[in-house]
Amino acid sequence: MRIPLIAKALGLEIGAYLLLKLGMPLITSPLPSSVIFMYMTLVTISIVLYVSIYEDDYNNFFVPIAAFIRGGKGESAARKLSRAAVFILIPLFFGFRSYQGIQINFEPPFPQRVIHPAPPGSAAGFMNPYGDDKNHREEYIQEGRKVFYENCVFCHGDKLDGKGFFAEALNVKPANFADATTISMLQESFVFWRVKTGGIGLPEESTPWDSAMPRWELILSEEERWKAIMFLYDYTGFKPRTWELGSDE
Amino acid sequence: MSRFLPKTILRWVSISFLGLIFVLTTNSMLRADEEETASPAPAADEQLPSDDLAAGKIIYEKRCISCHGDEGDGDGPAAIRFQPKPRSFKKAEFKYRSTPRDMLPTDDDLFSAVTHGLPGTGMPDWADVLNEKKRRQVIKYIKTFSPKWQELSGSLPTVTVGEPIPSSEESIKKGREQFELLGCIGCHGNQGRGDGPLALVLKNHRNDPVFPRNLNKNWLFRGGGEAKDIYMRVNTGLNGTPMPSFADKLDNEKSWHLANYVRSLSPKQGKPDRGSLIKSHRVEGTLPTDPDDPLWEGAQQSWLPMLGQISFRKRLFTPTVTDITVKSLFNDNEIGFLLVWDDRSMSKAKPAKKKRPERFSDKVAIQFPEKLEPGGMKKPYFIMGDEKLGVNLWYWNAEENQIVESNSRGILNEEVFQDASDVSGKGYYKDGQYRVVMKRTFETVDKEKDIQFKIGEFFPIAFHAMDGTNGENKTQRAITPWYFVFMEPEIDKTVYFYPPVVVVAVFGLEILLQKILKKMHKESD
Repeated sequence: MRIPLIAKALGLEIGAYLLLKLGMPLITSPLPSSVIFMYMTLVTISIVLYVSIYEDDYNNFFVPIAAFIRGGKGESAARKLSRAAVFILIPLFFGFRSYQGIQINFEPPFPQRVIHPAPPGSAAGFMNPYGDDKNHREEYIQEGRKVFYENCVFCHGDKLDGKGFFAEALNVKPANFADATTISMLQESFVFWRVKTGGIGLPEESTPWDSAMPRWELILSEEERWKAIMFLYDYTGFKPRTWELGSDE
Repeated sequence: MSRFLPKTILRWVSISFLGLIFVLTTNSMLRADEEETASPAPAADEQLPSDDLAAGKIIYEKRCISCHGDEGDGDGPAAIRFQPKPRSFKKAEFKYRSTPRDMLPTDDDLFSAVTHGLPGTGMPDWADVLNEKKRRQVIKYIKTFSPKWQELSGSLPTVTVGEPIPSSEESIKKGREQFELLGCIGCHGNQGRGDGPLALVLKNHRNDPVFPRNLNKNWLFRGGGEAKDIYMRVNTGLNGTPMPSFADKLDNEKSWHLANYVRSLSPKQGKPDRGSLIKSHRVEGTLPTDPDDPLWEGAQQSWLPMLGQISFRKRLFTPTVTDITVKSLFNDNEIGFLLVWDDRSMSKAKPAKKKRPERFSDKVAIQFPEKLEPGGMKKPYFIMGDEKLGVNLWYWNAEENQIVESNSRGILNEEVFQDASDVSGKGYYKDGQYRVVMKRTFETVDKEKDIQFKIGEFFPIAFHAMDGTNGENKTQRAITPWYFVFMEPEIDKTVYFYPPVVVVAVFGLEILLQKILKKMHKESD
């Protein structure tokens, strides 16, 4: 049995929508509605193009639709009723959309915050002067531990999970070092820059005005900061990200 | 057949084209994520020896030592800045137990503290990091720090929680009687906010100041905030603190009444939900300056947790104000705020004397940006602004019951106080709680220094509180991050006008389309 062209088109339209709305979140994060709208417009244009290239398709597609809208003598009651329903529902839909459009939006401005922004030029190339000293490594880590527990634990927490004593009060939550998407993804140099200049040193796309991360260069010496970073990696078992061997940079 | 081939090709071309666009755009969106996927696996958890004590030692040295210290004396590096201090396992004075006063805790008591943590302190809940076996092992180890455990013979007696009496108005009333009879008010205060006459002079076994619990915040009760936990506390006391056991004065019934009363002081749900948007509520006529005016009851309440200012020296690691509750009202030309927060004493400014550090008046402040930035996204730094963008602060001073205004461009820069304030209001202190109103007209003369309000826009807002008895002043204050306050405009009448117009117009178009199609059909016939 041949499936009518209209049903195919409708099926494709609905299928594409479901794929974007429900299928994509399984692979990646949910798509914003503007992106879905863009794709659906493309799908619709493609379908219209497809059915209007050839006359037989055109006839199969548009003639039944035109006949439905037009109506005629000797129609079944069900067909008349469904036409009336379509004629009423479409204006109501547009009316509802315009109501939604006019309504005042009470959502406060919500910044799309970049968590790991590209560091400025001044942030590149910090080298840990204590990193290669294997003989004193344990000692440095212990000193770093002390720095952490005297300064950082209040927000980043005893378990380094970002759930310290003060974390609840903050809007930009303290980083969770125990999670595989924070310090293990970052180069040591980047981590050092974030510790050194703090939230206030972030570029604007990272909403520096909301970050409670102190500018530690005002409080801790460079040595203390490096040792604290060594402690973070040691405690969590992560390694800082490095450029792979053989890469150009 | 001649038509078949090109048609198929055309169809495939259009489908591939669509697919290509899809892949390209999706790919560019996902690239940012892809770049961050290469993370090394964390090192496998340390291999622990089979001996429990040896395993416990290794766990202790990784997880506990930083607060509880090398020798278990509660003197790890974190100890200097936490209040309360980490427990000393050497002294083995444990507060949260199921055993009678001055006795050691059971292993299960210790297990419970390690598992759930102690809310409101630096002690986290370890269940997600240490499995039950490990928690038992580390408990075994910490018992080696004090000889008291070896001297212990036989098993420990425990306080049993008897047949429950459900909470009721009557039970709460009887509980209140016990509360007064047993002298709880002396430390915990009339309304249980930890503000009794003895609140500031109590000492623990180390001769450190110790403060009675604010019984209105059961989510901060270390040993649990439900009636059964309170029952346990009043019958066990808190070792090492002045909190006695009332076991000899309470039977099961009285214990439940007292527990039900204390529980009733906190919200039913326990910890309130954290507020986000502060929605101001429209009222007719003048805004009240009285914190107890019934008009405030109509306004939405926002509960905002606070943290100590620890970003700039001099830092505050131990604020006493842990949260503040905010309401807002507005009319045609004014906006007002009601601030409510708990403080265990009304502080009087006093210079330093001998051992006692300087004391200050209690203060509260509302912080706004001096100006709204275009787009509403950019803000001054949340801790008192920055060099580029300044903030406008409204301070209420408890001792003088007066309001002053200031402007700040960073906490380390000199704060500039205005000669006169456009903000009016008043407040008072009662039973361990401040209630303060501050209000102002939307617009002022000084449009450079004062925030200018407008209905229908989102204004960043933050709050500060200072407990002068705790030495809080200037940089040492409890703070919140930025929130927004919003005055909702009256509903635009066009909401009811345009949609029907759209409905009629679309319907008209439909009829028009139908007519055209009919006409075309007739012509083709």
